[in-house]
Amino acid sequence: MRLRYLLPALAVSLFLSPSASGADLRVYPAEVTIGGPNRMQQLLVVEEENGRAVRDVTATAKFSSSAAKTATVDAKGAVTGRAAGESKIAIVVGAKTVEVAVKVDASSEWTFRNHVIPTLTRAGCNAGACHGALAGKGGMKLSLRGYDPDSDWFVLTRQALARRVDLTKPADSLMIKKATRAMPHGGGERFGEDSSHHKMMLAWLAAGAPGPKPIDPELERLEVFPPAILVKPGAPKSTFQVQVRAVYTDGTVEDVTGLARFGSTEELVARVTEDGLITPVGNGEAAITVGFGTKVATLALTAPYANSVKADAFAKAPRTNFVDEHVLQKLELLRLPPSEQSADAEFIRRAFIDTCGILPNADEVTQFLKDTDPKKRARLVDQLLDHPAFVDYWAHKWSDLLLVSSRKLPVPAMWAFYRGVRQSVADNKPWDRFARDILTAKGSSLTNGGGNYFVLHKDVSVLAESTAITFLGTSIGCAKCHNHPLEKWTQDQYWSFANLFSRVSLKNGDRAGEVFVQSKTDGDALHLRRGIAMPPTPLDGKPLAADSTVDRRAYFADWLTSPSNPYFAKALVNRVWKNYMGRGLVEVEDDLRETNPASNRELFEAIATDFVKNKYDVKHLMRVILNSAAYQRSSKPLKENASDDRFYSRYLLRRLPGEVILDAYSDITGVPTPFDKITSAAGDSTSAITTYPRGTRAVQVPDSLATSRFLDAFGRAERVQTCACERTADASVTQALHLNNGYTLNDKLRDKTSVVTKWIVDKLTDEEIVDRVFLSGLSRKPSVTEKKKFLDILAEGSKAGAQSRRETIEDFVWAVLTGREFLFNH
Amino acid sequence: MIRLDTDRSATFCDGLSRRDFLHAGAIVPLGLTLTELQKAKAANGKDDDVNCIMLFLVGGPSQLDTWDMKPKAPAEVRGPFQPIKTNEVGTQISEIFPRMAKHADKFSLIRSVYHTATAVHDTGHQMMQTGRLFSGGIEHPHVGCALGYLKGGRGELPAHVLLPRPIGRTGGNLPHGHTAGYLGKPHDPFILNADPNAPGFKVPDLLPPEYISAIRAERRQKLRDAVDGATEAFEQNAASKQLDDNFKLAYKLMSSEKARNAFAMEKESEKTKDRYGRTRFGQSCLMARRLIEAGVRFVTVNMFETVFDEVTWDIHGSKPFTDIVQMSKEVAPNFDAAYTALLEDLSERGLLSNTMVVALGEFGRTPKVNPAGGRDHHPGAWTVVIGGGPLKGGRVVGESDELGYAPKSRPVTPGEIAATLYKGLGLDPHKELPGPQNRPIPMVDYGVKPISELF
Repeated sequence: MRLRYLLPALAVSLFLSPSASGADLRVYPAEVTIGGPNRMQQLLVVEEENGRAVRDVTATAKFSSSAAKTATVDAKGAVTGRAAGESKIAIVVGAKTVEVAVKVDASSEWTFRNHVIPTLTRAGCNAGACHGALAGKGGMKLSLRGYDPDSDWFVLTRQALARRVDLTKPADSLMIKKATRAMPHGGGERFGEDSSHHKMMLAWLAAGAPGPKPIDPELERLEVFPPAILVKPGAPKSTFQVQVRAVYTDGTVEDVTGLARFGSTEELVARVTEDGLITPVGNGEAAITVGFGTKVATLALTAPYANSVKADAFAKAPRTNFVDEHVLQKLELLRLPPSEQSADAEFIRRAFIDTCGILPNADEVTQFLKDTDPKKRARLVDQLLDHPAFVDYWAHKWSDLLLVSSRKLPVPAMWAFYRGVRQSVADNKPWDRFARDILTAKGSSLTNGGGNYFVLHKDVSVLAESTAITFLGTSIGCAKCHNHPLEKWTQDQYWSFANLFSRVSLKNGDRAGEVFVQSKTDGDALHLRRGIAMPPTPLDGKPLAADSTVDRRAYFADWLTSPSNPYFAKALVNRVWKNYMGRGLVEVEDDLRETNPASNRELFEAIATDFVKNKYDVKHLMRVILNSAAYQRSSKPLKENASDDRFYSRYLLRRLPGEVILDAYSDITGVPTPFDKITSAAGDSTSAITTYPRGTRAVQVPDSLATSRFLDAFGRAERVQTCACERTADASVTQALHLNNGYTLNDKLRDKTSVVTKWIVDKLTDEEIVDRVFLSGLSRKPSVTEKKKFLDILAEGSKAGAQSRRETIEDFVWAVLTGREFLFNH
Repeated sequence: MIRLDTDRSATFCDGLSRRDFLHAGAIVPLGLTLTELQKAKAANGKDDDVNCIMLFLVGGPSQLDTWDMKPKAPAEVRGPFQPIKTNEVGTQISEIFPRMAKHADKFSLIRSVYHTATAVHDTGHQMMQTGRLFSGGIEHPHVGCALGYLKGGRGELPAHVLLPRPIGRTGGNLPHGHTAGYLGKPHDPFILNADPNAPGFKVPDLLPPEYISAIRAERRQKLRDAVDGATEAFEQNAASKQLDDNFKLAYKLMSSEKARNAFAMEKESEKTKDRYGRTRFGQSCLMARRLIEAGVRFVTVNMFETVFDEVTWDIHGSKPFTDIVQMSKEVAPNFDAAYTALLEDLSERGLLSNTMVVALGEFGRTPKVNPAGGRDHHPGAWTVVIGGGPLKGGRVVGESDELGYAPKSRPVTPGEIAATLYKGLGLDPHKELPGPQNRPIPMVDYGVKPISELF
């Protein structure tokens, strides 16, 4: 098992190990294709190590062209086509020379779709604050960021008596004079005269301002150079100029650097200007995001920390499975030494909390600490995955995700939904099956609880968007009204996707809360702008024939759960990973998108692939994570990794979820929490209920409307909107006030049936009490100094009599149960 | 010895009275240092510093139906309402604010506010509360949090209180800018998290239950500090430090007579409550006045918590949103009553001269009324209502074009509004704060200036 993971990892690490030969000189693009005379391609010259650029040396390079009639190159490395043909550009840096082949095509015209619109977009003309506004601006309305070329072309060349263009004297065109501010323009100057934007627009006008054509090549992808950047600690500071090339379906390529938009995901690591000039400023990793047309791409910038780390810090670090290979590789690259492994007492506590949402009891802790079996951690993991509390905890978690509550569902339907989810967890139903069963649910919503998913999301847009977030971890909502401004999803894709969900029929049944869910053979979701039915198509998937009468939901589920689906497995992996590791590989956990890459892409790929290979077995995934050395690391930071919060050099501290705290209070004090009221959906009234028998745990309550001040204060999910943001893990003054003055914990401690009463009746000594509270609350024994302090305080409190002793014991338990060590998973 | 006393007293089994818990002497062991206590005594809420109340009009009021009417615009733009005269010659506002019209000397209108970010609620929330759009993972502090960071609270009161709850879902899933951002959680506002208009309202859990005496509270604190496992991990962790800071602040609040008094809405007469309006927003405005009076420096009042399932300023017309007419029947009178009551009340108590009151939304609405009888998001131009403290009233700054599309003169950005608030609060708007990794970040960008016409 171990060897299997080690071999490929070794191969990778050899490839990545610092090369002894020093930096290579690389020129991008490696082969230059220029669309025609007077078009341009800027060259990028970098020094590279192991596929990562370490220095941009374009400015110091010398360039020359072998055939100046075909292509010329200026001192800055800009290659301009002169005539169709071929040439070679020689690039000299110091003693090194590299040659790049250049091919210049015969002239092709400037197109409205691929040149004019991107220029308007880059210049900001069709931005949301300008002519791209819903109502347009100054009487001219363009589609937001150019998502509708046909209407834009009409607006610019035909509307308003065609006064915006002058085809005989292009420079006199209103649209040019406004943009260059030769005439007053509310939006100011968008591009200067003689700028490349200006020249291109004039050439297009001179050619008769042709409109978008069906045969226009379609943008296929973007190429971004350099492929990655490594900021070497101690090396002289270097900036990097990104180069972006658009690749079209007809094979043409084009330098679109001047038309692309840029952003940095971490401005504390690297900043980027609107022209694509990157300045590294800190340590860690950033993704430079590049957008052009409807495509996006990213460039990874790695800036290792300036730590001096012992050579064997990584080689010697424990590794159990492939997770560790990837985590350690990343840590080594970033020079972040891993913290040591957690102690047994820490491990048992966190494994119980993260897997089952409960604390181990005093006996379980004692047993585990005594156990000398070297495999006891792996054994504990197996036990926890089969623990009854596992079902409570994960059913609750997936109920958050699926919005199980009586807010919109009748109570019997809520229970049916919850029971279905719960049974799936109990059966460890493979995740693909889990998704498919819900998404293709048929029949009575009371018999087949999954059908309530459709009752909750009646609107086709809401259904499509919620499904994307729930099962693909991605948000497509923006594309409902216009192409997604930051992502690749277009409005056409949105409505093609939404149309997969347009054939669901809901009919009320005879029983209270019963709805019959069926698929229909007719009905379409109409494109908001075009008003037509788009062929039902999964995201980046193949369309279903428009006349097909198969259940569109089943077609979607086939695509969703196909092993080649790029998002489905990852979305689940990321949610589970976040549960155990405290931070998603992609953060936030339901915001998977190209421009928000994982903190460790290789690991994300590997773990998702492993999950698919193991047939979407969620427990297998958990076992892999739980057994990894990365999960089992101490939360204690080293000086060198203290600022790391995303590469897993140590276990990340986090507050326990409210439900887990509340249940632990019930368990430790021996006084269950009553759930005997329900809050109205509007939040303005409560009424008594008898649904939940005494002893029902907070994680077992399926209804987010069950009244609980405690859970509200500790940020439970409202289950209104599919969004991980519903649950908050923050610490607030409200929580502190509630723990101090609220009834939840105070009443439990005072209760006549509480564990404190029992201890007194059983005549436990102060020392026994201190030990028990520590074991049950903190999963460890008190230190000598702690014990002495507590015994002193307890002795002091006992002087004033029995009542005072009891109060002191209550206060002691209160103090342990409100302290950071208790409230945090560590 | 000072006594921060309560109205009632009772004796408990340990021989101490409830009064004793609230005894100032009990504060010292509860985490307040002597210097802080001295500061509390000296300050006593009566320094000359300017305060601020920010009324956040969640949803984004329509400029054309409120404070920037275009009676000469085509019918589909000008909307259903008529302008009315105010007590400032030449300034007209919408007839839906009859009370405001009588107080136009106390506020100024900035009619040329705009922003250029994506037209979703969340971006405007960020910019109007912090002066900046968030990007690259950096969250900027709310103006009130930066103020609290620089000046601290007066005595035991928090510097910045947020009423009644933070802005919740508004569709964008982005941060709303009500926190201290990179300044860290200790500088977040104290959030009430309750509805002051609810019957029998009390600040939840502000007072200890009767059976927790001063002795017990003190002992609990001592016991809590004695658990010291995994110290190295916790000491370096912001969230765990925050937990302890929260406990300290909770102690301060529960043991302070002034704090309890500030939240004691029952001390207000029924007449006053009526005057503010028996709405969540109205009573929050009343509480804001109480808090300012007690010494809180900055109060943010969110008029709504979400734009869904509530009748708000977000007047798209189609379900689940409201339309123009419904807004004028519910939202506008609610604002008109509460806002004018607040101005009158502050003015009568001599507080308006050192308390700025700013009412703002996250954007304006599209000039053209949509087929559903509503207006959609439009950050191109809208109006901010601002006055009090050192700010001049009765002014109109900037103007929008004839349709209310875009600023025609004197365009004002959210950054300039923030700069104006900072200047009004007596702070240098370009003061550098320690940003993430101690990168200095000016409170508003260099070059962004306060609106000089208001000073």
